[in-house]
Order: sequence, then C-alpha cells, then structure tokens
Amino acid sequence: MSLLQKLKNSVRKRSIHVSFVDTASCNGCDIEILACLAPRYDLEQYGIYVHNNPRDADVLLVVGAVTEQWIDKLPMLWDKIPEPKVAIAIGNCAISGCVFHRPGSYTDPPVSKHIPVALSIPGCPPRPDEIIQAILAVAPIAFKDYEKKL
Amino acid sequence: MTSLSAYLSHMLRAEWIRSFFLVKTKPLTKPAYFMDYPIDTGKRCTHCFSCMMICPVPDAISVLMVGETEGEDIWKPVLYQGHCIRCGLCVEICPERVLASGDIIERVRQDSTYMQSTFHILVNEGKCAGCGTCSIACPVNKEIDPILASKGTTTSDEVIMRVKAGVMRVLHEEKCTGCKTCVLHCSYQAMDVARVIECLQYESDDETSATNEGG
Ligand code: SF4
Ligand code: SF4
Ligand code: SF4
Ligand code: SF4
Repeated sequence: MSLLQKLKNSVRKRSIHVSFVDTASCNGCDIEILACLAPRYDLEQYGIYVHNNPRDADVLLVVGAVTEQWIDKLPMLWDKIPEPKVAIAIGNCAISGCVFHRPGSYTDPPVSKHIPVALSIPGCPPRPDEIIQAILAVAPIAFKDYEKKL
Repeated sequence: MTSLSAYLSHMLRAEWIRSFFLVKTKPLTKPAYFMDYPIDTGKRCTHCFSCMMICPVPDAISVLMVGETEGEDIWKPVLYQGHCIRCGLCVEICPERVLASGDIIERVRQDSTYMQSTFHILVNEGKCAGCGTCSIACPVNKEIDPILASKGTTTSDEVIMRVKAGVMRVLHEEKCTGCKTCVLHCSYQAMDVARVIECLQYESDDETSATNEGG
C-alpha cells in the first residue's frame, strides 16, 4: 500500500460523518445519542460529526421499530446517502422490535428488512460508550480503501 | 501560493495533528454499578422458570436443557441480546442466584426484599377449540407426565391443565410457573395467564430469614 493510501485511510478513520433517523422509538435511544454529543462523551473528539441532512453523511444511525409510515420512507432516505455508506441499527427496537413486536402492533421490525444494516448495537437503550465504540469499530472497515473497491 | 503556504503552516502544526488523531478524554468504561446483560454465575439452575415468567420482553430469555451429568439434567437460562432490555428483573427473582448483573444481588440483600407471585390461568370458553395444544406445550406438564412430552396425550390428573371430555380443564393452577408458553402456542388466542407479582420486604425482626434467602 502506498504511503498516500495509508494517509488517506488514517484520515478517514478520524472523519466519520453520521446522520440519524428515528423510525418510532420510545426516545430512549435518541437521548443516548444526544448524550454522545454532550461534553461528557464529546463525539467530535473521536472525529465523528453529526449532520441533519443524510446527503452529508456516511453513516446512518437508525433507531426504532419502523412504523407503517416509515416502510417506504426509510429506503428512500437510505438511497439519498452517497456511497460509501453504512447503516447501524441502534437499540432493541431496530434489531428485534422488542416490546413493540407483538401481534396486532403497527410496527414492522427489524430495520434490516428495509435497508442493509452493517452493525447492530443491542440494548434498551445502549449506553453512549457502546454507540461510540460501535461507530469507531465499523467505520474504518467500511471506508478503508474505498476508491479501490469501485 | 500564499494561501497554500498558510494552509500548510496551519495544518502541519504538531498541536493540530495531535488533536486530529488523538482523543482528549480517558478511555470509555462502564461504571461498576451498571446493570449489564445478566451473566451466568455457574450456580445450579433448578428450572423453576421464574426468570421467564417475570421477563417483560417477548423471547428475551429461555430456560433450556443444555446437557446431562451423572443422569441429571443441566438447565441454563439463555439470554438473547437484541431482545433483553437489561431490566434485571430475572436476576432479582431467581431463587438460586444463577444470574448476576451489576449490584442487584447486593442491593436485594441490603434491602431484604423478595418477590412473591401467583398465577391465574384463564381459558376463554367461547374461543377455545379444545385442541389441547396448551397442555402439550406447557413445560411443567411435560415434567409431571413424561408420556405427555413424548406422545402428546395424557390421562394424568396431576397436570396443570388437560382436555377432559372435549373441554379444556384447569386442574392444578397452583403448579403453574407463569412462563406463558401455553399462551404463545394457542392458535385461537383463547388462553391467558394473569401473573400477579408482589414485591415485599422482610420485617426487621425477620432479618435472619432474609439473609438465608439472599444467600
Ligand atoms: S429463575 Fe433461576 S433457577 Fe429458576 S429457571 Fe431461571 S435461572 Fe433457573
Ligand atoms: S434482564 Fe429483564 S429483559 Fe433481560 S432477560 Fe432478564 S427479565 Fe428479561
Ligand atoms: S391451545 Fe387454546 S384452543 Fe387449544 S385447548 Fe388450549 S386454550 Fe383451548
Ligand atoms: S404459564 Fe402455561 S405453560 Fe407456563 S407453566 Fe403455566 S400453564 Fe404451563
């Protein structure tokens, strides 16, 4: 691997742009993501930056059990993200539906049914450190040597 | 040219490079009191199914027979991440202290609390087809009458419930452990198990029994 490529990869590791979407959760996971931004965890020191617009992001954090209204909108939103991209399912709702996954409920979990999910973070909700560690673990693998994979 | 040199002199400062590549705060750790996924302490599980009964989430915990030693079955509670919400109720209710998570057991011992439960099996006669699926699915029934487990029919009156003369009869409600397996397997949604849990505290002069229980 050339020196330039190595430099590119190590810079990419410290420049991860995330956007997040809530497809109907109880708000617990949203609060934990919010806690990542607060000074105690200070997400930006890890080189993770949050964007409101999915078009600016590389990583989509998905929370929630996917209500009927999200079934067509979630893939639409996923398509808006430019390559390279990964989706991370956060919390039990996104992974299994958890307590909302009962007969007669208006949800359609898991998230991986609707968009490709690279990594799941179980927990109800997961701790901020679990979220940060997961993003830091998946992003370097997903974006490493991306231009060579084209 | 000046802008390029200004850019380089800004970006190549040691301080900037350090803050770009390195993290300022201490590594992320979990506090000791954090209630993580319950872990197996290796104590012997008596398959009372209390943990399955109290769990608020569908499919988060199952008590499974995992092997056999010297003619005795080995049972173990198995947890499913992605379902379990780390509420710790199974840790608190387990009479054998098979599970552990955070400082739950320590706090239960300190506060001398315990849980008491009763179960009520309700069969909706209008919906029930008398198929007997519930009595075959019930793990307690299977243990009471091994013939039921292998053949699917029983003539024993010791089981919790069985079909008698085409009608589902509940015979021994008091043996029910509240695991809700029967509810899950009824195709007609005719069955429900009401679980009544009381959280109680030992009186202070009752302290000795509390210590024994918590042991
Ligand atoms: S409550 Fe404890 S002893 Fe009872 S089945 Fe669960 S793990 Fe086993
Ligand atoms: S911690 Fe709570 S959700 Fe998890 S298995 Fe135990 S009772 Fe169920
Ligand atoms: S499984 Fe349901 S329908 Fe069948 S006997 Fe039991 S309660 Fe009745
Ligand atoms: S809840 Fe149903 S399956 Fe479980 S022990 Fe009671 S009667 Fe049997």
